[in-house]
Amino acid sequence: MSFPPAIDFHWVNFGPVLALLITAAITTLFALFQRGGRSTAWLAMIGVAVAAALNVNLFMLHRAGAAGSSFGLRFLADTPALSLDFVILLGTVLAILVSYDYLQRSDLDHPEYYPLILYSATGAMVMVAAGDLITLLLGLEIMSLAVYVLSSWRQGANESEEAGMKYFLLGAFGSAILIYGTALTYGATGSFVYADIVSAMSAPGFAAPLLVTLGGALVLVGLAFKASIAPFHQWAPDAYTGAPTSVTTFMSVVIKTAAFAALVRIAATVFPGMEPWLMTTLSVLVGLTLVIGNLAALLQTGVKRMLAYSAVAHAGYLGLAVLAGPHGVRAVAWYLAAYTLMNVGAFAVLMLVSDANDRGDELERFAGLGRRRPALAFAMTLFMLSLGGIPPLAGFMGKILVFQAAIASGYTVLAVIGIITSVVALVYYFRVITYMYFREPEYELPAYRSSAAQVAIWAAALGTVLMGLLPGWWYGLVSSGQQLLARL
Amino acid sequence: MIALFVVLVPVVFAVVTGLAGSRRVAAVGFGLVSTLTTFVLTLFLPGSAGISTPWIPGLGVTFTLEPTGAGSVLTIVAALAMIPTALMAARRVEEGPGAFVALLLLMQGALAGIFLARDLVLFYVAWEAALIPSMLMLGAFGRDRRRAAVLKYLVYAIGGSFVMLISILAIRPLSGAASYRFADLIAATPNLAGATQVWLFIGLAIGMAVKLPLWPLHNWLIDFNEQNHPSGAADVAGTLYKVGGFGFFAWAIPLLPLGMERIGPILLGLSVFTALYGALAAVAQTDMKRLLAYASLSHMGIVGVGIFGLHLAGLNGAIFLLAAQMLSTGGLFLVSGMLFARRNSFDLDRYGGLARSAPALAALSLFVLFTFIGVPGLANFPGEFLSLLGAYQLHPWAAALATLSVIVAGVYGVNFFQRLYQGEEREPTREIGALEVFALIPLVAGILWLGIFPSPQLSRIEAQSQLIAAPAATATAEASSALASVPAAPPARPGDLLAPSAVPGEGPVAPDAPLGGSR
Repeated sequence: MSFPPAIDFHWVNFGPVLALLITAAITTLFALFQRGGRSTAWLAMIGVAVAAALNVNLFMLHRAGAAGSSFGLRFLADTPALSLDFVILLGTVLAILVSYDYLQRSDLDHPEYYPLILYSATGAMVMVAAGDLITLLLGLEIMSLAVYVLSSWRQGANESEEAGMKYFLLGAFGSAILIYGTALTYGATGSFVYADIVSAMSAPGFAAPLLVTLGGALVLVGLAFKASIAPFHQWAPDAYTGAPTSVTTFMSVVIKTAAFAALVRIAATVFPGMEPWLMTTLSVLVGLTLVIGNLAALLQTGVKRMLAYSAVAHAGYLGLAVLAGPHGVRAVAWYLAAYTLMNVGAFAVLMLVSDANDRGDELERFAGLGRRRPALAFAMTLFMLSLGGIPPLAGFMGKILVFQAAIASGYTVLAVIGIITSVVALVYYFRVITYMYFREPEYELPAYRSSAAQVAIWAAALGTVLMGLLPGWWYGLVSSGQQLLARL
Repeated sequence: MIALFVVLVPVVFAVVTGLAGSRRVAAVGFGLVSTLTTFVLTLFLPGSAGISTPWIPGLGVTFTLEPTGAGSVLTIVAALAMIPTALMAARRVEEGPGAFVALLLLMQGALAGIFLARDLVLFYVAWEAALIPSMLMLGAFGRDRRRAAVLKYLVYAIGGSFVMLISILAIRPLSGAASYRFADLIAATPNLAGATQVWLFIGLAIGMAVKLPLWPLHNWLIDFNEQNHPSGAADVAGTLYKVGGFGFFAWAIPLLPLGMERIGPILLGLSVFTALYGALAAVAQTDMKRLLAYASLSHMGIVGVGIFGLHLAGLNGAIFLLAAQMLSTGGLFLVSGMLFARRNSFDLDRYGGLARSAPALAALSLFVLFTFIGVPGLANFPGEFLSLLGAYQLHPWAAALATLSVIVAGVYGVNFFQRLYQGEEREPTREIGALEVFALIPLVAGILWLGIFPSPQLSRIEAQSQLIAAPAATATAEASSALASVPAAPPARPGDLLAPSAVPGEGPVAPDAPLGGSR
């Protein structure tokens, strides 16, 4: 391991991240003079737009062959990183939109909310770009700290404070394990950079295969916390249920994107050089996640908690693609975009149906929605069908991609488990549809309206349909350019 | 390109109808315009060019629609059956006719996708896409006990099709085919080992047997029909959705001949049992819709016998019967809806003697019923006859047993007609109305067309059966030389279809001689 002669800054690679960070800082200052969060929300959206524009620019530079890394492969701007940056920005802007009216209705409208969202998204983008374990840890911490605060945003509500505390404690625990794994890996290979770790491990006479594999295993566990892979998923349902639904929306998509981006990069580069039991362990965990997530979701009566377990289940499907290593990277990137759209959509509908204090998310709330609010029910039907993997929607194409990746890498049994658990999943997704269309409401229900949330819902619905009908467009993008710079 | 329009036109009109809201005029207008346009388009399908474009390039998934022989025949007949169905639905659904018609049209687009898709993943997409509208029609517009029926339907349908999905996803990586297009797959599947083929075939067979349907996976069908909207329109759509037989014919058997060799005899046995079981159960029913459901199940058993018999004539007949029963079963479901509109009941005991006050309705019903039970000269007969005859060449006992169901069909058919129209008249009823006449005209015309001139359609189907009977025969034939001579055999003239297969091995140039001779 050696540095290139001069430090390669390549500032352009930091454009999107810096845009978010600077906007977040400006918005924080601006928030000092504000009472409500409306203006900071607009500022935040502008920041996201600038970051997206810079990301497009970067993508085009990258496809034209620009250097895709800074600091000697420590901060990467290859295709997986750039495409997942888009997914993070998409999830962020959708989360801002669904929060816009919801926070006012719930009496949570403090101006610091939006800068915190941006800080968290910044951390997520650093994680996505991370080409070494230290950058990864930095991104993870920046992302998580903001979300710890956001989860307990509803002051005085036990569930919300419990959610924040639980998330913080388990998150800190996960980080500690990740750091321990980082230390062991460094001890065995003398490097934090993935590319150097790979070359150290493949060097003849490499002395510490067990030590480095132990390090890899601990790094895996640390990331599995964030990615809510069983059995490290237990914080997720509680944190998701207790946090304000707008924060849950953000967590369920952006944090998951960042965690899987980091995981798939490590699994595709570093893990293959380690002892094979590591991947075997991961495959067992993925199988567990599929079963536990889906079965637990089946038992829920509250839609919010059901969606929380469904998020765990989808971590399992993403895990199938992670197992496929380098072949699974595109599938992960594709799936996360589809998942972001349909999951935000489902949570956004839920927010318009449940009460301001997040109570009233029972299935009964959805009874007769098909007659009372046909458009909203139609959108929810799309999201449920897509999450359940029914063609021709985005979720189906995503499942095809991950199952293909798993089968092509020899994990046929896991793919079969995945498909069987998909049948279970359909039961709980269809239950929502059943209530909306086939039952009558037993009592008068409130009808909340929010034009910002409507924008998010219909954008997500359109995206869900288009990604299902024209999967090739996004797939073409995530397959173009340089795949996985960290791999030498 | 026509194939693309045949899929797209109903889907676009479904969106338009859905957006037009709940006005009945819009539902009737858009429904008729869409179904008529689609039907006219389908007439240009046979022989037209297909369309093939990459869909997910990295995975070899393509968007390929091609009007094959059997696929185009089924699409045409389904489009014909949809015209009266949309009309009746738009007029008879009390609440939200627009939404109902929109669902029907979506269903039609998806069905066209099933029949025309020549990419296995696209086929699966269409297969599942048809499930959603049929489920929503049942769940949102069905009768009192619809919720249990929906659940049963979903468990069977989705359970089956997800198992099928495993096989579909595995078939390309395992065989090393370049894409999921039929042409690429069939070139590569001979690479698969026998055991692999058997497993893949079982996966496909479970999904398809649910939709055929075959005993013991038929259970959803009865409640599905009983609980659907009393106009009968949704039942027609459900009848068109019995695509399992087509799935075996167009995909499972040609792609996995070694799987068929092992599993086919079991499926043949189940088909025979289904034919007999459905017919006998139909005799015992007192509910009109349950009777029709069991009776159509029995017909599907005969379709199965024709297909799994693997004889050329049987294959032709089975697909023809699938097309014909879209019209006859569909027609009877519409008649049941017309009767419900008069008496508000499907209980056969509450009817009787209707022929006195409604002779025209009785006559039309009798005509459709005759078709249904396989009277010669009408649409079902050639299909039923060829299915059984073909199977008889290779599996005489199975065919003989299945033929018994045709005799029982006479029993439940007469029973059905007598209890409705003959006997003592309890109270006078309305004679057939203009709407009902308009609704039945396309069906009667179609029945006569298929019944009197079966040959053009049979020869279209045969073009595909021959391709398919050949690899299927390799699985069963001991002599591989027989296979080599199949493509060389002269294509059968349409008129010859009955003759050579009626007497096996009679003519040395009979197109199916290699099959019959190899036994």
